[in-house]
Amino acid sequence: MKVTSRGVITILVTTLSLGAVYVLNPGSATRLMFSLLTFAGIYGLAAIGLNVHFGWTGLLNFGHAAFMGMGAYVTLLLIPHAAGREGEVTTTGLPLILAIFIGIASASLLGLLLGLPAIRLRGDYLAIVTIAAAEIFRLLVRDLEAITGGVYGIISYSDALQKYRPKIIDSLLVDMDISVNQTWVGVIAWLCIFAVLLLLKRLNSSPWGRALRAVREDEDAVRALGKNSVWLKLQSFMLGAGIGGLSGILLAFNYGSLQVSTFVPILTFYIWAIMILGGVGSLSGPIFGAIVFWVIISETDKIAEIIFENANGQQLAGVRFALVGLLIMFLMIYRPSGLLGKKEELLLDVK
Amino acid sequence: MIDQLGNGLMLGVIIAVSAVGLSLLYGVTRIVNFAHGELIALGAICTLFFSSPQDSRLLYLDRFSPLGMEFGLSVFFAILLCGLAGALLELLLFRPLRKAEVGNIAVLVVTIGMSIFIRHLYLLFTTGKVQKFPLDLQRRETYLFIDLTPRNLKILIAGLIVMFIIGCFLTFTRLGKAMRAVRDSNELASISGINSDQIILSTWIISSMLAGLAGIFQGMINDVRWNMGFLILLLIFAGTVLGGIGTSFGAMAGGLLIGVFVQVSVALPFMEGHTEAKNAVALGIMIIILLVRPQGIFGLKERVS
Repeated sequence: MKVTSRGVITILVTTLSLGAVYVLNPGSATRLMFSLLTFAGIYGLAAIGLNVHFGWTGLLNFGHAAFMGMGAYVTLLLIPHAAGREGEVTTTGLPLILAIFIGIASASLLGLLLGLPAIRLRGDYLAIVTIAAAEIFRLLVRDLEAITGGVYGIISYSDALQKYRPKIIDSLLVDMDISVNQTWVGVIAWLCIFAVLLLLKRLNSSPWGRALRAVREDEDAVRALGKNSVWLKLQSFMLGAGIGGLSGILLAFNYGSLQVSTFVPILTFYIWAIMILGGVGSLSGPIFGAIVFWVIISETDKIAEIIFENANGQQLAGVRFALVGLLIMFLMIYRPSGLLGKKEELLLDVK
Repeated sequence: MIDQLGNGLMLGVIIAVSAVGLSLLYGVTRIVNFAHGELIALGAICTLFFSSPQDSRLLYLDRFSPLGMEFGLSVFFAILLCGLAGALLELLLFRPLRKAEVGNIAVLVVTIGMSIFIRHLYLLFTTGKVQKFPLDLQRRETYLFIDLTPRNLKILIAGLIVMFIIGCFLTFTRLGKAMRAVRDSNELASISGINSDQIILSTWIISSMLAGLAGIFQGMINDVRWNMGFLILLLIFAGTVLGGIGTSFGAMAGGLLIGVFVQVSVALPFMEGHTEAKNAVALGIMIIILLVRPQGIFGLKERVS
């Protein structure tokens, strides 16, 4: 592996921001770190999926929350769960691994469905279509209360994953104020990141990956060389959506109860911020982006509490979101290639 | 179904007025402005702040007590302020980006970031409570066969007049013609001596003032919320797309149609008990139109591909 100055800077920034958590939170830092790294793993995974869309293929996907939601809902509804206001716990269900597989496949299928407009539409139209489709998904999930639990959500499904938790986690974290459930989800999330990155690394250097990047650079040239650029775009949409679906499943298990309000558009914008921060088009960038992002997010709340002393909880969350918006703006203006991305790998013009 | 028509027309006029601005801006600058909703909210929040009685504690940061101005005057200043905000956005942010030749997609992402940022500043400022303008409640009356309050009738007429004026402005005035020229071809417009920077600045101002007006309408018809602009933004996109993105008259018609459709769809048999999902239907229509006829009902084909 080649060591670049960008790589050094990235690892430095990531380490420093993790160090900042220890400095700013004497006492509770370890507990915070476990939760932070779990979230970073899950969101980082989603950002890796988004990067396949935008970074590799140049597809402007603003509906990533729907892919995550699709994966989560399909998987949870297939395993034992309780949905709705007076939902009773269903005792039957598919084996977890099969349910996860079907969840990922459904997210991919949604990607295929959403990818169909991508063939016909230019970048900025695609942005509108994807964000609208994600809202349709969310509104439908909320509306179909009989199946999805609607606004009451889904609960009592965590056991399906937690029963596989190795004893070693419990014994390592004994007497520490750290959630073993969350830690187990975090471990899985980082294993998934590792596996997905290995897969993507292979794909990236394969003829398929090169063709995909060629679609981003010059679609007409790809067509002239006899490649089916439409099918390539659709494959990219499915691959990225599947990864998003997996991340949504993990997010559901991390929360322990699934709310439809998790999949509001702001979730997609979080993922975008992480992807841009880590580096558009960079393979491992989203991981670092996710860690730095979650450090910023979790520390903002404390600073906001000091600055705005009589603000309510919703307002304090507002400070955090405002910062995300500012981050997206400034990165896009001053450093669109992020921490790790290469400038020449960036396509930012409508063709 | 007929009793939803009044509501539909009101929603339609809000969407149409803001869609004209959005579509004009897109036509002239090629910017898909996701922060358009925040300009809508700006109009409403400014009006709320200007017109509420001084002793009402409606806003966070108590040192800014409301101004207690007369309502009409508040509306006037709020719209002016929206125009100023639009001008500042162009001068401080989007003109430098254009000069630096930042790509359209990057600018789109910038507007999304800006939208999130500004929206949550509103949240911080307005405490997230749903608030109302200091206007008296009115009873609905029947005009022809449509149920509206007298105030809403005035809003409807005012909206139609504003759109008529904008239409005349684009068709007959020098500035309006120049805007359409820049929209059709920036280079050709420059050759004929049109200063495109000035035109784009005017477009930003007009687009933002229209957005502000739509927000004030929304506040008068319903209420003022920090995220009111974002809630309606996708419907505005739907209206714009339906009429044909980049066409002003299309945006007006499309906006009215979407508004009426969303409200009337509540009364459809298969929507019974599913009123919360009414926006999903409108968004679905938008996606289908983009797939089947991406230039919209009134748009020209070459603007899309």
